[in-house]
Amino acid sequence: MAVVERIAATRAVTRKRKNRLDRGEGRTAFFFLLPSLIGVTLFLVVPIIASVVLSFTNWKLLGQPQFVGFANYIKLFTADPQFWPVVRNTLFFTFEYLVLNIIISLGLAVWISSLKMGQRWFRVIFFLPTFTPGIAVAIVWMLIFAPGGFFDFVTGSLAIHLPNLLTDQKLAMQAVIIVSLWAGVGYNTVLFNAALDMVPASYMEAARIDGASAWDRFWKIRLPLISPTLFFGTVMTAITSLQVFDQIYVMTRGGPGSATATLGYSIFQKGFQNFQMGYASSIAWVMFAMIMALTAFQFWLQRKWVHYDN
Amino acid sequence: MANVTITDVVKNYGHLEVLHGVSASVADGEFVVLVGPSGCGKSTLLRMIAGLESISDGDIEIGDRVVNDLEPKERDIAMVFQSYALYPHMTVRANMAFSLKLARRSKDEIEQMVNRAAEILDLSTLLDRYPRQLSGGQRQRVAMGRAIVRNPQVFLFDEPLSNLDAKLRVQMRGEIKALHQRLGATMIYVTHDQMEAMTMGDRIVVMRAGVIEQIGTPLEIYDTPANSFVASFIGSPSVNLIDGVVQTQNNQLVLQADDGAIWPLPSNVNVKAGTPVQLGIRPEHIYLDPAGLPAEAFMIEPTGADTHVQLRVGKQLLIGVFRDRPDIALNATFHVRPDVSRAHVFDRVSGKRIGA
Amino acid sequence: MTTKTKAKANARRTLALDILNHGALALVALLFLFPFFWMVSNAVRSNAEVLAIPVRILPAVFEWDNFAKAWTTLPFGRFFLNSVIISVSVTVITVLVSCLSGYAFARLKFPGRDKLLMAYLATLMVPGIMLIIPLFLIVNKLGMINTFQGVILPVAFGTFGSFLLRQFFLSIPLELEEAARIDGASRLRILISIIIPLSMPAIGLLSLFTFIAQWNNFLWPLIVMTGADNATLPVGLTLFQTQQTTAWNYIMAGATLSMIPGVILAVVLQKLIYNSISLNAGMGGR
Repeated sequence: MAVVERIAATRAVTRKRKNRLDRGEGRTAFFFLLPSLIGVTLFLVVPIIASVVLSFTNWKLLGQPQFVGFANYIKLFTADPQFWPVVRNTLFFTFEYLVLNIIISLGLAVWISSLKMGQRWFRVIFFLPTFTPGIAVAIVWMLIFAPGGFFDFVTGSLAIHLPNLLTDQKLAMQAVIIVSLWAGVGYNTVLFNAALDMVPASYMEAARIDGASAWDRFWKIRLPLISPTLFFGTVMTAITSLQVFDQIYVMTRGGPGSATATLGYSIFQKGFQNFQMGYASSIAWVMFAMIMALTAFQFWLQRKWVHYDN
Repeated sequence: MANVTITDVVKNYGHLEVLHGVSASVADGEFVVLVGPSGCGKSTLLRMIAGLESISDGDIEIGDRVVNDLEPKERDIAMVFQSYALYPHMTVRANMAFSLKLARRSKDEIEQMVNRAAEILDLSTLLDRYPRQLSGGQRQRVAMGRAIVRNPQVFLFDEPLSNLDAKLRVQMRGEIKALHQRLGATMIYVTHDQMEAMTMGDRIVVMRAGVIEQIGTPLEIYDTPANSFVASFIGSPSVNLIDGVVQTQNNQLVLQADDGAIWPLPSNVNVKAGTPVQLGIRPEHIYLDPAGLPAEAFMIEPTGADTHVQLRVGKQLLIGVFRDRPDIALNATFHVRPDVSRAHVFDRVSGKRIGA
Repeated sequence: MTTKTKAKANARRTLALDILNHGALALVALLFLFPFFWMVSNAVRSNAEVLAIPVRILPAVFEWDNFAKAWTTLPFGRFFLNSVIISVSVTVITVLVSCLSGYAFARLKFPGRDKLLMAYLATLMVPGIMLIIPLFLIVNKLGMINTFQGVILPVAFGTFGSFLLRQFFLSIPLELEEAARIDGASRLRILISIIIPLSMPAIGLLSLFTFIAQWNNFLWPLIVMTGADNATLPVGLTLFQTQQTTAWNYIMAGATLSMIPGVILAVVLQKLIYNSISLNAGMGGR
């Protein structure tokens, strides 16, 4: 009996000691994660929660925040005369920019991949604006679009009668889109070009032997094969374009009138010019909802056009 | 130098138990091979000795010190990995010196120890190369060099030769054995290759499905396998196993095979009539004998020195190994005599050996 | 015609088409580069010439010292330094923090690891502009408005780096690490001596993209750095925009300065950039 107990006791002791190795690993993990956890908590988790809470208050930076329930959201959707135009501007920008960006970058990618020499240099050229500050880009373009500037000079020389882009209610957004395209097509061009490079040559050769024309080879072989990458590029571009801010801040400040005011610009304006922190936060959540909705829509749509080989 | 004692060691991952309480001991300076099919737990056991896996239950002692909770570095062991695991961004010299640097040895000491190890393994001219510039055999030697610089109590090898081609494997086998004799250190060697186990081990531990099936010297295991698994795992080509039931015929115990044929049993076997058993006959114990049983060869595979013949006696399929080139023609009848006195008998239910 | 001359004619025709194809795209590329040219061309002329109507493609008088003037008087030199301090600090902190946490996610066992990783991944979905307001309030609360730490710290703890490095660390053979443990290395030593040296491609990539993102960042430094002396280059560029007599030539000189690091990195590291983007293309949202 005593012997049995002693054995049981030693077993218990060894069992307890057993996990020391694993426990040491857990402790190491804790210390390795600590800097990241502190940073993520303070600058990511707390702000996310704070943003939700703020959107239900009327805080104006000075004074005490007051809980106002859904008042901000109700005001946005029903009372604020600026809100719906801003949503419309944002969607207009996103749609036109997205479509043109994908068409242009895909076109450039296909064109570059048809070259026998110098592919990488063309890629670098179109990629350059991606690595330069958007603000600097916008300022340079602002000079180009300035009244009497280079753009007016070109249209004038070609006898095209256009009002100045930046000061025209209808055309200002087009100017913003041109600048955004110039700055933004490079990344997708390289992305799609890389995807085209990865299509095994044997597929194209097989299609050629099967008698497919160059036209068919593009639409029926290459495009479906890179469709997952096209989808990825489309989703990422849509997410960034809904947040557009830099170009508008520099070139138009949302004007003329509110012709180019977008959600991103509204958040800045309400938050940091009017200091309506609560109201601006509610706009941020509307933007987040739109990003999620658009992404979900694209994922739904992808079943119709994206081909995965597995 | 040290002995290694493994007592009732259990390993489980969550609810899955992969080692079911194994015990074994390795004497100081002994070369022990852990062998078994993949998934038998031999590598897990080795990694538990190394301290790379925690021990779920039981104890492991190295040199009379329980090491269950010690980090690998505190166990005074060295290990050679299957992939060699050489640090790709370090030269051969830096690879070998890494552990010494971590142990804060002096520069001169490190220099001296690395050079000594390099000399033993014939690596002196390769010290400033990177692993990618070395051949497979050279990498293997660097991996061993990294192990021996520290003069550890115990060397652990995890299938160190399986990435080499056949010829190099035989050569390195010899080199590892020579190294063992030179250093006289305790070595534990994991392999799935029974040939490596037979040729290298002072003793062999045969494992299957998380349990130890048998521990013994190579010849003990070959000559008296503890069960039918060990018998068929060790030896190539594999032992012939004939299923049947023990019968008495003319006052002698015989085996009535499932196909009805009658086979003699070893005379001294201690078994009752009616017991279902397996009769194990090694291929090399089947001899050509004009007075023997009629057999028909359906495949003949000459290996040069020997000839492997797949043959049929009645309905029973057997494989025989004959020296040189026996006079056997494909699909023709010839006569064979199994040497029953050296055959093994196993209980068909438990698989256990039935001895004299 | 013999088949041989026919083949020759064909080859000549393909060659001609090829040259035409290259030439046409070269033309497009040149047009694409025009804004860069326009920027530099306007940086080296007098402000009166910038505003002159009709526009001149090339300056009548090249004023190369505009760069020096913009550097010292406006003071883009100061802005450049601020941008360097902020971008480099964020990059260094991001890489260090991501190495540690990425290693923990890749190689250390601890309870709740996979859930925490999923939480990290989820934060990648949150667009940066949404957090601007609460981040500003936090920085304000910490008394770090108009300070370098105020602009650096809130953007230095992104979860992307942890995830990227975790993925790369997982591709390093586990046996290397086990060999190092047996050689007596601690986890920190393994990270420093084995994992990090072998992960330089991924760390380089993380550094490059973090640096560029911060160098180009506008909204965040605009909000936090309220003092003109503390402005970064992008913010500095906009400071002079609203003045009555906008010195366009100096602004163009400043814009040129602000683009130099990115252009150099894009050209020098084109292979690394292409490889990283083709990795994205390969995964293609899968």
